[in-house]
Amino acid sequence: MVRRERAERLADEELMPLIGAKDPEAFEVFFDRHGGAAYSLAYRIVGEKAGAEDVVQEAFISIWRSGARFDKARGSVRAWTLSIVRNRAIDALRSRAGKAPKLTFDDEGILEQRPADDSTEDEAMRHETAGEVRGALETLPGDQAKVIELAYFGGFSHSEIAEMLGVPLGTVKGRMRLGLDKIRGELAEGLA
Amino acid sequence: MSEMANGHERWSEELAAYLLGALGPDEMGSFERHAEDCERCRAEARWLMPAMQALPESVERRQAPPELRERLMVEVRADAKAGSGVAAERAAAGEDRDRNWRQRLAALWRGGGPRGLRPAVGLAALLLVVAAVAGYVVGGGSSSPSGDPSTTVVSGQAPGIVATMVREGEGGSLYLKNVKPIPDGRVLEAWVQRGDKVEPVPALFAPNREGRATTMVANMNGVETVMVTVEPSGGTRAPTSAPIVTMPIPQ
Repeated sequence: MVRRERAERLADEELMPLIGAKDPEAFEVFFDRHGGAAYSLAYRIVGEKAGAEDVVQEAFISIWRSGARFDKARGSVRAWTLSIVRNRAIDALRSRAGKAPKLTFDDEGILEQRPADDSTEDEAMRHETAGEVRGALETLPGDQAKVIELAYFGGFSHSEIAEMLGVPLGTVKGRMRLGLDKIRGELAEGLA
Repeated sequence: MSEMANGHERWSEELAAYLLGALGPDEMGSFERHAEDCERCRAEARWLMPAMQALPESVERRQAPPELRERLMVEVRADAKAGSGVAAERAAAGEDRDRNWRQRLAALWRGGGPRGLRPAVGLAALLLVVAAVAGYVVGGGSSSPSGDPSTTVVSGQAPGIVATMVREGEGGSLYLKNVKPIPDGRVLEAWVQRGDKVEPVPALFAPNREGRATTMVANMNGVETVMVTVEPSGGTRAPTSAPIVTMPIPQ
């Protein structure tokens, strides 16, 4: 077991093998780094404290018990962690609503598409991202922001969104793409 | 292969929905198969991915409640102390199916029971709900009001607890519901009884805020009864308190 002081000096990617080896000190440091962001995300999705706590507890216990599965070639630990939290929060939302789950997310599915060499850029963005993305979302046309929020934070499929909004499916796809493009452009400008 | 030939233009329209998790399972699979051979789709995904991954960072920041951290670390330290055997087995075998397990159980708890589960997930051949017990032994309780033989409500020492044992292969997962909060420094410990022998289950566990708790029994062969007690953090080699759940396992 590593001492807490030493664990605090390790990068996330260095903590993960220790967590895989069931080191509680490493896990505690990992939670202290990302627990707040995870809880914030879970709260945003499920909308209440107790549910958000349960989502985070489940997600982090899952990571603790499968920490060795993290593959740094797939991206940053934080992005991996938050994708797990997001998927579990959406599950909780659907379960609570009594809906049969319509989508099956692999906790790692999204990251499998992610190139390893983005991690530096990703880390750099992390520090400035919150305000920038909030700003970008606020400046998005309302219809683009809405479809992105319904999909990412609401867990709705594009066809469900089309039905809810009473617009053609193609329109929803187009708004999603335009919205993500715009956020990406804002982020790129922020880094320039 | 040309873009026209591989259908890039069509699939490119799906890319944002894919990244946002807004495609159905079939569409998702189809998109991924296409992207394997379409460098332009992969390049567009690489470009958009930071926007996608920035979304969770955009939410209003809240501090994780200290009690959440405390509960989490109690479970983690208990797990670590109990040894990595069961935890590793969970990682290898159980966690891959975790989502499905939780979905099945959620369906079960919503009142569908095993009969309600079958058409929804088509897992009748794989899933055996051995006995969700309870009160039966603890308090001489009765079976559930619904008459569903797979679910019985605990009475006696731990009224209201619903215990479900889901068996798969040699092992099984024990799911508890309606467990009251346990004191600080305490954990839940499961026990298996074979004949006169009672053995601890290595994976200690704790209830979450909704009163749900889960552990895994690596080997259910020959197990006649599963019990759960509240024990000091780190667990014990023999029960030190009366069981809050006692679940007879049909042979």
